[in-house]
Amino acid sequence: MRSELRLANPNQRRRWRARDPEDKPAEVFPRRFFLLKSLMLLLFGLLLLQLARMQLIEHEAYQQRAESNRLRIVPDLPARGLIYDRNGEQLVQNVPIYSAGVVAADVPGDKFLVVIDELSRETGVPAADIATKVAQARNSDDPFTPVIIKAGLDESTLFRLRERQAQLPGVQVLAESVRNYATGALTADVLGYVGRIDQDEYARLHESGYQLNDRLGKTGVELTYEQALRGTAGYRQVEIDAAGQELRTIRSSPPGNAGNLVLSLDLDLQRQVTEYLMTAMAESGSQNAAAAVMDVRTGEMLSMVTLPAYDNNVLTEPVDQEALPSLVNDPAKPLVNRVLAEIYAPGSTFKMVTGTAALQEGVATPSTRITSRGAISVPNQYGGEPAVFRDWSALGTLDFYGGVRMSSDVYFYYLSGGFGDFRGLGAERLARYAREYGLGAPTGIDIPGEAAGLVPDPAWKEEAVGNPWYLGDTYTFGIGQGYLAVTPLQLLGVTTAVANGGDVLVPHVAREIVHEDGTVITRIERQVAHHVAVSDENLAVMREGMRQAAVSPGTAASGASRLVPIAGKTGTAEFGPKRADGKHDTHAWYTGFAPFDNPEISVVVFLQKGTGAGTAGPVAAQILDYYFARQRLAQEALP
Amino acid sequence: MIARTIRLRDFDPLLMLAALGLVTLGAMLIYSGSLTRFGEPDLTDLSHPVSRQALFAAIGLGLAIVFTLFNYRTLGALSAGLYIASLAALVYVLIVGDETYGSRRWIVIGGTQIQPSEIAKLIVIIAIAKYVSDNQETLGELRVFSTSLALAGIPAVLVFLEPDLGSAVIFAAIWLGMVIVAGARWRHIGGLFAVALIAIPFVFLGLVSDYQRDRLELWMEPEADAQGAGLPTLQAEISIGSGGLFGKGLTEGSQTQLDFLRTETTDYIFSVLGEELGFAGALALFGLFLLLLWRALRVAETSADLFGRLFATGFVVFVLVQTFVNVGVNVRLLPVTGIPLPFISQGGSSLITLFVGLGILESILIRHRRLSFRDFYV
Repeated sequence: MRSELRLANPNQRRRWRARDPEDKPAEVFPRRFFLLKSLMLLLFGLLLLQLARMQLIEHEAYQQRAESNRLRIVPDLPARGLIYDRNGEQLVQNVPIYSAGVVAADVPGDKFLVVIDELSRETGVPAADIATKVAQARNSDDPFTPVIIKAGLDESTLFRLRERQAQLPGVQVLAESVRNYATGALTADVLGYVGRIDQDEYARLHESGYQLNDRLGKTGVELTYEQALRGTAGYRQVEIDAAGQELRTIRSSPPGNAGNLVLSLDLDLQRQVTEYLMTAMAESGSQNAAAAVMDVRTGEMLSMVTLPAYDNNVLTEPVDQEALPSLVNDPAKPLVNRVLAEIYAPGSTFKMVTGTAALQEGVATPSTRITSRGAISVPNQYGGEPAVFRDWSALGTLDFYGGVRMSSDVYFYYLSGGFGDFRGLGAERLARYAREYGLGAPTGIDIPGEAAGLVPDPAWKEEAVGNPWYLGDTYTFGIGQGYLAVTPLQLLGVTTAVANGGDVLVPHVAREIVHEDGTVITRIERQVAHHVAVSDENLAVMREGMRQAAVSPGTAASGASRLVPIAGKTGTAEFGPKRADGKHDTHAWYTGFAPFDNPEISVVVFLQKGTGAGTAGPVAAQILDYYFARQRLAQEALP
Repeated sequence: MIARTIRLRDFDPLLMLAALGLVTLGAMLIYSGSLTRFGEPDLTDLSHPVSRQALFAAIGLGLAIVFTLFNYRTLGALSAGLYIASLAALVYVLIVGDETYGSRRWIVIGGTQIQPSEIAKLIVIIAIAKYVSDNQETLGELRVFSTSLALAGIPAVLVFLEPDLGSAVIFAAIWLGMVIVAGARWRHIGGLFAVALIAIPFVFLGLVSDYQRDRLELWMEPEADAQGAGLPTLQAEISIGSGGLFGKGLTEGSQTQLDFLRTETTDYIFSVLGEELGFAGALALFGLFLLLLWRALRVAETSADLFGRLFATGFVVFVLVQTFVNVGVNVRLLPVTGIPLPFISQGGSSLITLFVGLGILESILIRHRRLSFRDFYV
C-alpha cells in the first residue's frame, strides 16, 4: 500500500524516484514510461524524416511522376486521304467503326484476369488471345496505346461495353476510321489496302510516330503514298483517370491535312479492260491474265488489270474472317499482281528489241533479205543429229518489214545468232539492248512488289545454270524464248519506247497529290528511266514493220482497231513441258500502240493460254476500239 | 479496497478534443477520397462513407460517455468472459468470414461489416491489464510472464491466419509495451527476442504464406510489378511525394481524385492527406496524435491502480503502433499490411473501439482520487 500512497501524490513520486533503488517494482513505472515516451517520439520522428525526404527533398521527382500518371499524349491523326481516278471518280471512302481496345498500363494487376475474361465474353475473342496481346503491350515500350482486341463492334456489344466501362478498367471503346473500297476487285491491285500495323512495321516505323494500334497502307498506292495519305499527326494532351478514361483535353495541336490522291487510272477503261479480259480468259481456258494501258507520252497508267482479282475489302478491317482463308489459299493466287509481279517468256513480242538492236548495230538494214524455208539446222558441235530451229511456217524471202510483219522466227534467228555467212548480234549485244529497254530490272512503277525479270547472257548462264552458252541459246533468246523472262509491264515499256522515240518511261498510276480544295501539292511528273540507244530512224523502221503487222495479212492484224491505224506485235510463247502431241502450251501476248502517226497509248495483253493472234489480239482490239470510240464521242460532243 | 470518489472535474477534455480533431480531419479526408465514387455526401444517406463515419463517430462518442460513467474496474471482472468471446469471434471469422483482398477479416451482421480483430485489440488490453495487475508481484516468474504472453499470442496467431500480419504485430506490441511498463524482467524479454530472432528464418520459410512473402518482396521492389501488385505501393508513394510542403489542396489531388490511389479511405488514407494537405498536414496530424497519446499516457501515470495504469499503457501502445504501422506502410518504411489509421480511416469497428477505449481512460481519470483526510477537513 505504500506504493499506492506514493503514486497518489505526483510531487512525492518525483522526489522518491531520484532516491529509491530500481528493483522496487513500483519504481519501475516512471523509468519505463520514459521509455514509452521516447519510443513515441522516435517513431513519429522516423515517419517525419521519411516524409521530409519524400515531400520536401524528392518532391519534384514525385510531382513529375504524378503528372505523367495524370497526363497522356494522344496522337490525333487527320482523316486519311481519299483516292480518285483521273476523272474524279472517288475510289475509296473512310468509314467509322467502333473497336474494343485495351490500354495495358491501365489494367490493374489484381483485375487482369477478370477484365480479360469479361472482355472475351463480350467480344467473343478467345481470352488467351486477349491475354497475349495485352501482355505484349504491357512489356512493350508503349503500354499506353490501346491494343485493338476487336475491330468493328456490333451495336449491342458497343453499348454493353460502354455501360460497363467502370467495371472494366483499361478497356476502351475506340472510334476508328477504316477504308471501304467502292470498286473492290476492279481496282484492288492498284489501290492495295490499309491494315493494322504488324510487329515488323511497328519496329521500323514507331520512331516516325506510328502507334501500336496504327493502320497503314499494306500494298498498292495505299502503301506507296502512305505518307501523303496519312498526313501529319497532331496531338492532344488529355487528363485521364486510373482506368484510362479521358476526362478532359488540356492542350492540343491540330493534325495537318492529309493529301488526296488522284490517279492516272481511268475507271471506265479499267472496267472495260477487265470485262474483255475476263471473257477472253474464259474462252481460252486461261487460269490467269493481265492487261495494261499506258500513255506513251507520260508514262501514266490508264488501266492495269490482273485476273483473277481479289476484293480488297476482305482484307480491310474489320477483316472478313470467313472470306480470308479461301482468298489466301486459292490455287489461282488472286493476290498476285500479274501485271508486274510475275515473269513470263515474251515470245515474238521481243522481236521489237532484237529488230531495233540489229538495225542500230548494222547487222541488218530495212532491206536485208532472208529466206525462211521453215527451219534452219545447225550442226551439232559434238557430233550427232544437227539441231533444228523452226519457223512457224515456210515464209519465203522477207525484208526487214516482212520479217516483222510475218513474225518470221528464221529471220530473227539470223539477226540474233547469224547463220552461214550472215553475222548476227550475238547474245551479249542482244542482252545489252534488252537492258536498254528496261528489261531485267524493275520499272520503278509506284506500286510495290515488282519483279525484276531476267535477261540472260553467257556469263549469267555459266553462273546460274552451270552450262556454257550455245548458239541455240542465242536463237531462242532472239525470238523471246528460253531464259528470257519479263513482266507484262516491262514489255509495255518496250512498246512505249518504240512508240515515243526511245524513252523508257517510269510508269506511274498516281498523277498528283492534292489538297482537299483541289490545289495540287505534288504532281507526279513524266520521268525517263532511260533513253534507248537506238536512233529514231531505226525505231521508225520497227514502227512501220509493226504497222504492217497490224494490217491483214500481217500476224498482228487481230489487234487492229477499226477506228485508228495502229502498230502491233503478237507473241506466242511456249511454256511448260511438252504435251502428248509433242507441242507446248503457249502464253498469248499482244502489244501495240496507237494511233500509228501520233502515238498516245500503248497496250499489253497477256493470257496464260492461247496464241498471240487468236487470243490476245482481239482483246487489244477491243481495248483500242473502246478507248478511241470514247475519245471520238467526247470530241464530237464538243461544239 | 479504499473508497474512491468520482470527480467529473478530472474528466480530460483535451483527450476527447484531440480525438474529435482527428475524426474531423479523417472525415475530411474520407470526403475527398470518396468524392470520385460517391459524390457529395448527403448526411441522411448512410451509404455514403462520410455519413457512415459521422454516424459511427456519434455512436462512439455516446459509448465513450457510457464507459466514462461505468466503473472501469468492473471490466476487469468481466475480462475473462470478454476475452473468450473475442477469441470465439476471431475463430468464427477465420471459418466463415468475408474475404476481401485475399484475407478473411470481416463478419457481416445486419448488413454491417464488423472487424472482430479491432474489437479484440481492446479486449486483449483489458485482459492483460487484469491478469498482470492481479499477478504483478510474481510477474518476475516465467509462468506469469508466459501466461501474459499467451493472452496476446493466441489472438495474434488467429489474426495472423486471416492473414493479417499487421494486427498480429499490434497484439505483440501491446503485450510487450504493457509487460515492460508492468516491470517484467529484461532477462525474459531479451530471451524472448533471442528466440524470435532464431525463429525468423524458419517462420519465413514455413509459416509465412506466399501472399505475405509476395508482399514483402513488393515492398523491397514495387517496380518489379509496377502495373500489378506493386501499384498501390508505388501510387501511394507518388501521391505523398507529389504533395510537397502544403499539398495540392483538399479534393485537388490528382492521384486521389483520378483514382490512382487504392483503398484511399482506409489503408491508404494517409496518402490522401500527404497529397492534398502535404507535409504541413502531416505535421498537424502527428501533432494531434502526440497530444492524444500524451494525454493518454498521463492517464497511465495518474491512475489510482495498476489495472488502470496498464490499460492506459496498452491503449497508448495500441494507438501508437497502429498509427506507426499504417503511416509506415504509406511512406514505404514498412511492407504492405492493411490496418486502419486510428480515428482517421473509414471503418466503424475501429472507430467505436477507440472511443470506448477513450471512455475507459476517462473513467480511470475521474476515479483516480482516493478519499483522504484532507478531503474531509478542507
